[in-house]
Amino acid sequence: MDQIFFREQDYIQAGSSEHREFWAFFDRFQRFKAKRDMSGSGARDEVKERKRTGHEKVDLGLPREYDARYRINVSVCTGDVEQRMGKADPTRRQRSSGPGPQEVSDCRLALLHFLDFSQKQSFGKLAKLRREQNNLPIFQYRDRIVELVRLHPVVVVAGDTGCGKSTQVPQYLLSAGFTHIACTQPRRIACISLAKRVSFESLNQYGSKVGYQIRFETSRTAATKLLFLTEGLLLRQIQQDKNLDQYEVVIVDEVHERHLHCDFLLGVLRSLLADRPGLRLILMSATINIKLFSEYFHSAPVLQVPGRLFPIQVIYQPIPPEEQPSRSEKLDPRPYLRILQGIDQRYPPEERGDLLLFLSGVAEIGTIQEACQVYATHTRRWIVLPLHSTLSLAQQDKVFDVAPLAVRKCIISTNIAETSVTIDGVRFVVDSGKVKEMSFDPKAKMQRLQEFWISRASSEQRKGRAGRTGPGVCYRLYSESDYNAFAPYPVPEIHRVALDSLVLQMKSMDLGDPLSFVFIDPPPTSSIQTAVTYLKEQGALDSRGELTSIGRLLSQLPVDVVIGKMLVLGSLFNLVEPVLTVAAALSVQSPFLRSSQHNPDCSTARQPLHSNQGDPFTLLNTFNAWVEVKRERGGGSRKWCRRRGLEEQRLYEMVNLRRQFKELLRSHGLLESEDRAPSGGDRLQRRERFTERKKLHQLKRHHEQQEGTKRKVLRMDEGQDGELSSGSDTEGRGRKGKKRQEEDVDIQEVKFKLRHNVSELQEAVSASQDLSSRHQALLKLLLCRGLYPQLALPDEHNSNRKDSEQVFHTRNKQGVVIHPTSVFASDPEVLHVPEDDVRETGPDRRDSSRHQLLAFVTLLETNKPYLSNCVRVPALQALLLVANSVDTNADCTRLVVDGWLELEVKEPEEALRVLSTALSLRCEWERLLKVQLGQSSLGEASGQGVSRRDMEKLSEGLVRFLLYTEVSYSLQRLTAFQTQNLYVGPQSEPDSSYAEVPDLSPLFPGAEAKPDPIKGGLRVSGFFTYNCLADSKDLYSECLRTFWSCPNCELYMPLTPLERMHHEASCRPAGERQEAEKESGDGKPGSSSMSSLTRVYHCDVCNEDLKLTSTEILKHKRQHMFAAK
Amino acid sequence: MEQTATETPQNTFSCQLCGLSTSFTYYGQKPPNTRAIVLLEECFVTKDPFSPDKEKFLVLGSTCSLCGKCVCVGPDCSLFYTKRFCVPCVNRHLDQFPQQVRAELAKKSQSSQPGVTQLT
Ligand SMILES: [Zn+2]
Ligand SMILES: [Zn+2]
Repeated sequence: MDQIFFREQDYIQAGSSEHREFWAFFDRFQRFKAKRDMSGSGARDEVKERKRTGHEKVDLGLPREYDARYRINVSVCTGDVEQRMGKADPTRRQRSSGPGPQEVSDCRLALLHFLDFSQKQSFGKLAKLRREQNNLPIFQYRDRIVELVRLHPVVVVAGDTGCGKSTQVPQYLLSAGFTHIACTQPRRIACISLAKRVSFESLNQYGSKVGYQIRFETSRTAATKLLFLTEGLLLRQIQQDKNLDQYEVVIVDEVHERHLHCDFLLGVLRSLLADRPGLRLILMSATINIKLFSEYFHSAPVLQVPGRLFPIQVIYQPIPPEEQPSRSEKLDPRPYLRILQGIDQRYPPEERGDLLLFLSGVAEIGTIQEACQVYATHTRRWIVLPLHSTLSLAQQDKVFDVAPLAVRKCIISTNIAETSVTIDGVRFVVDSGKVKEMSFDPKAKMQRLQEFWISRASSEQRKGRAGRTGPGVCYRLYSESDYNAFAPYPVPEIHRVALDSLVLQMKSMDLGDPLSFVFIDPPPTSSIQTAVTYLKEQGALDSRGELTSIGRLLSQLPVDVVIGKMLVLGSLFNLVEPVLTVAAALSVQSPFLRSSQHNPDCSTARQPLHSNQGDPFTLLNTFNAWVEVKRERGGGSRKWCRRRGLEEQRLYEMVNLRRQFKELLRSHGLLESEDRAPSGGDRLQRRERFTERKKLHQLKRHHEQQEGTKRKVLRMDEGQDGELSSGSDTEGRGRKGKKRQEEDVDIQEVKFKLRHNVSELQEAVSASQDLSSRHQALLKLLLCRGLYPQLALPDEHNSNRKDSEQVFHTRNKQGVVIHPTSVFASDPEVLHVPEDDVRETGPDRRDSSRHQLLAFVTLLETNKPYLSNCVRVPALQALLLVANSVDTNADCTRLVVDGWLELEVKEPEEALRVLSTALSLRCEWERLLKVQLGQSSLGEASGQGVSRRDMEKLSEGLVRFLLYTEVSYSLQRLTAFQTQNLYVGPQSEPDSSYAEVPDLSPLFPGAEAKPDPIKGGLRVSGFFTYNCLADSKDLYSECLRTFWSCPNCELYMPLTPLERMHHEASCRPAGERQEAEKESGDGKPGSSSMSSLTRVYHCDVCNEDLKLTSTEILKHKRQHMFAAK
Repeated sequence: MEQTATETPQNTFSCQLCGLSTSFTYYGQKPPNTRAIVLLEECFVTKDPFSPDKEKFLVLGSTCSLCGKCVCVGPDCSLFYTKRFCVPCVNRHLDQFPQQVRAELAKKSQSSQPGVTQLT
C-alpha cells in the first residue's frame, strides 16, 4: 500500500510522522465506518427527504445521494501507479499478500478523509490565531497607529501587559507597507521569542522576513524586513552607520524600563531625527510616566491602549512589628506562611491558580523557601520553587512546568519575575515590597547591592502578575500608607551605575561633551566626571578628554573597559588564546554554581581545576578541561559539568564570546587572520564534516519544533532537593524518566558543534593549557594591567588572623574582604609574605621581596564589601610596570605609587636598578603597543607590525623582571598625615641646577623632563616624577653622585641616580650594540636604536652644535666642569 | 531563503465574510509539492505554518460557486459539497442540500453564535 500512496516522491512519505499519523487515522476511520454501517442510518432517509422537497428555482446540480466524499475538495490520482503495479505483477492481485482493489479504494478514501481532516485542523488553528490577534486590545487601534506613524516622526504607544503591542505593532507596520523595521528589546531572550512569534503569526515561519540579532546569533538576511535586536546592538549599529540609513522605522520597546542603554539610545535617536527626517520612531511603553517620553520628543502624539487584565483584589497585610526582620537577622517566615494557609482555607484545591512571591534577594528566598517547604511537605498541597538568576537554567525552567492536580506552585522569586520572566497561571501574588538594587558609589569606586522599598510602578507591575489568566489576589506585606509613600517610579539605571562605558561610547560617537548631551533624565554631573577621570586613568582618554588610540578601540569592543584592555594587551604577546578565554570568562556569570559550593563531592571534583594564582586561572583551567571533554566525549560534557557543579550554559556563552572577541581583534588588525587552509582538510574529512553538519541542522530544526510543545508535570518533591540531587542524572527517576533523558537531545551540544570546530578549538586552547611559569607570570601582568587601578593590598596583620578574617584595602575603600567563592578565600596563605623572607627592619617595617597585591575584577558591597575574581601579582614589579603615578625621592629608595602605596627599598643600588629596568621595559612596551595600535588603525594591509623579535625580547625582559627581581622592600599604605605632606611642591626659585636638566627623551620618547608644577621634583614621564617626595634631598646635590661603572661600556664616573638611569637606558650591552650597528649599516636609518639616540646638543662653553648621544653629552659637560675646576 | 523571492509580491487572501486575512502563496488546483493530490476547485493556498514539514500546503479559501464571493474554508463561512458554497448561499438554497448538511448548519448556528458576532 505504501508503494501506491506513500512513495518517496509523494506528498506523504512512508516513514514520516504524517505517515504514522495516517495509519492511526486509518484504523479509527475503519472502525467509525463499520460502526456507521452497522447502525445503518443515512442514505435511505436522505433520498426520502430529497423527494419531498424536489422543486426549486435554481438547480444546483447537487448529487442526489449524500456521501461524505462529496464534502472533500481533494482528490488523489494514483491510477498510474496502480496500473503499473497491476501490469508488472498480474498474479499479485490474486495473492493474499498484495492489496486488492477493495483495499486500495478503502485506503484512498481514508487518505482523502485524512487530508481533509488535517486541512481542517490546520485551518482551525489559523482561524484561532487570527481571532486571538483580533481580540487583542491593540487591534482596535491598528489603523490609528499606522496613520499616526505616517503623519508623525515620533509616536508613543503606551499599553499595559497583555495589550499585544510588542507582537502586533510591528506586524501592522509591515502590512501597511513599511519595510526595514528595527524593534529593540532590553533583553536578548525577548528578541528571539518575539521574532519567532511574529514570524509564526505572519505565517512566515521558515522565511526570513522576520529576524532577530543578538550578541552571538542572528537570523538576519537580505530579505529581513523586521528585525528584533537589543538596544545595545542598535547603538553599535549607529556607531557604524551614523544616520542609520538601513532602517525606515525604529521601534524602541519597553522604554519605561529605563535601562541605561535605552535612555542613551533615545538621546541618540533624538539627535539623529534632525538628520533623517524620513525616519520613523515609535516608543512603546507600559502606561508609566508617558508624559516624560512625549515631551522629550517635542510633544510627540501618544496613543494609549488599555491592557487586558482581569480584576485583582488587593489585600494590605503589613508585617506586625514583632515579625519585622532586624538588620542582621534572617527574614521571619510567619507572615508568608499565614498567606499560604489562608489560601488553603479559602480556596478549594481543585480551583487552579499558582502563587508568585516577590522577595528582594537570594538569601531571603532561601529562608522563606525553607519554611514554605516544611509546610508544603506537611500539607502536600504546594510545590515550592525558587526563581533567581543565579540558579541553573534547568532549575529556572521548572517554574514553567505544571503542578499536579489539586497542588499549587509557590514560586519564590526576585524581581526577575516582575518583567523579565512571565509565568502564566499565577492567581496569587505576595509582594514583600522590597527590591535589591545595584548602585555605584563613585567615592569608594564600588558597586553596592542594597535593599530598597520598591516604587509604586513596580508594585503595580507585581500586582498585575496575578491577573494575566483570570481574576487574582495580591497580598501586599506593607500598609496602604507605605504604598502611598513609595516613589512613583523606580530610579532609572543611568542614575545608579558607573557610566564609564557610556561615556566612552559617547566619545567614540562624536557626541561632544557628555555633560551637555540632552538625556531624557540627565545623570548627575559628578557621575559623568567620575567616568571621565576613570577613563583617563585607564588610558582610554587623554588629558584633554579626547579618545586615545586604545580608547577608540575599546569603545568598539562590547565589553567592560578592563576586559577590553586585556584583549588589546594580549594581542601584543603570544598569549592571545589564554587572554581570550579569560576575557570571555570574566564577561559572563560564573559557571560555578553557588549551591554546589558546600557539596563535598563537587568540591573534590573541582579541586584539580583550582589555581592559587587567582580566579581567572581557575576559570581558564575549567574552560580548557571542558573543551578537552567536549573533544573526547562530546555530549558527555553535560554530566562532567553536573558532577562539578558547573552551569554548562555559561561555558557555551564563554566559547561564543571568545570567538566573537577573536573576530573583533582580527577585524581590527590586532590578530593575524588565520591561514584558511582547511585544517587537516582532505576531502574525506570535509565531507564527513559536511554530513555531520547536515545532521546537526536537522536535529536543531527538530528540537525547535518540539520546543515548548510539552510542559512537564512537576513531581511533589520538586524543589525540595537542591541543585544537585535533582541533577544527579537519571537515578531515582525510574525507567520512564531515563527514557526521556535519552530522547532529549542536548540542543546546546548541537548548537555548539554547529558553531565551532571542536578540534580547531582544542588546538587553540591547548596553547593555553599547562602554561609555563613564565607565561603564567606574563599573563598575570597583562590581567593586572587590564584591571588596574583595581588593586587591593593585603592588610599587614593578615598572617596573624583567621582565614575567614583576612582584610584588604583598596585605594578608595579600606577593609574589604574576599568573596567566599574566590580561591583566595579558601587559600589565603599564598598571599602572606613568607616568614623566612621577612626582615624586620623597624617597628612597623617588614622588608621582603615577596610582597603581593591583588588585582580584582569587581568590588561589590552586599552585607560586606567583597572582592571577586582576584589574581595575585608581585607588588613592586607590577606597580612599577602598570601604575599611573610613581613618585620617588632623590635616591629612589622611597617610592609612592598613585598617592597611596609606599614602597621603601633598603639598598639605593637595588632601588635604582629595579626602577631603571622597569622604566625601560615600560617604555619599550608602550612603544610596541603604539605600533600595534597604529597598525590596527591602518588596517591589516600595512603589515609593518610589531616585529616578532621585539615582542619576544620584551616579553623575555618582562618575565625576567617579574620572576627574578630579588629586591627587599617594605610595602605599606600612606597615612592620612603622610598624604597631606607628600610632595615638596613647586620650587618658587628655580634651582640653578634646573638650567641643566638632562635630556631624557631617549629614555621616554616624546616626553621632556620638566619641573612638576604641583608635586615639585622632575616630571620625567607621564607616570614618573623624580625627587618630588617631601623627604627628598636636593635634586642635583653632588653628594648624590656616586662613582659608578657601566657594565656595558667603559664609562666610570660619579653620577646622580637620574643620570645613571639615563645612561643605562641608552647604553646597550656590547653584543646588542653590534647588532644595532649592523642594522643601521644595512641602510635603515632611523630604525637603528643607536642613531636615534644621538641628538643635537649645543654646548655653551664650546659654542658649538654637537651631535652626541646623551652619555656623550654628559661626558662632554663633565670635561668642562673638571676643566673649570 | 529561496521561497521569499517568489513571495515578495504581497498576495493577500481576505475572506469577504469573516475578514480573515492572510497572505497566500498559490492560487489554483495544483499547489506545488502536492504530487498525486489535486484540488477539486481553484483555491487560495499557503504553506501550512502548523506542520513541522515545510512542504505541506494549507487551503485558505476559494470563491463561492454561486455568488462568486471570496470565502475562507472555515465552517462559519463556507462549505464544500462537490462545489464551494458560501454559507449565505447555502441558506438561500437550503432545500437543495441533503439533510446531513442542513443538520450540521443548524447545529452550528446554535452553538457558535457568539463566535460569529465577534468576527464581524
Ligand atoms: Zn471566512
Ligand atoms: Zn455565495
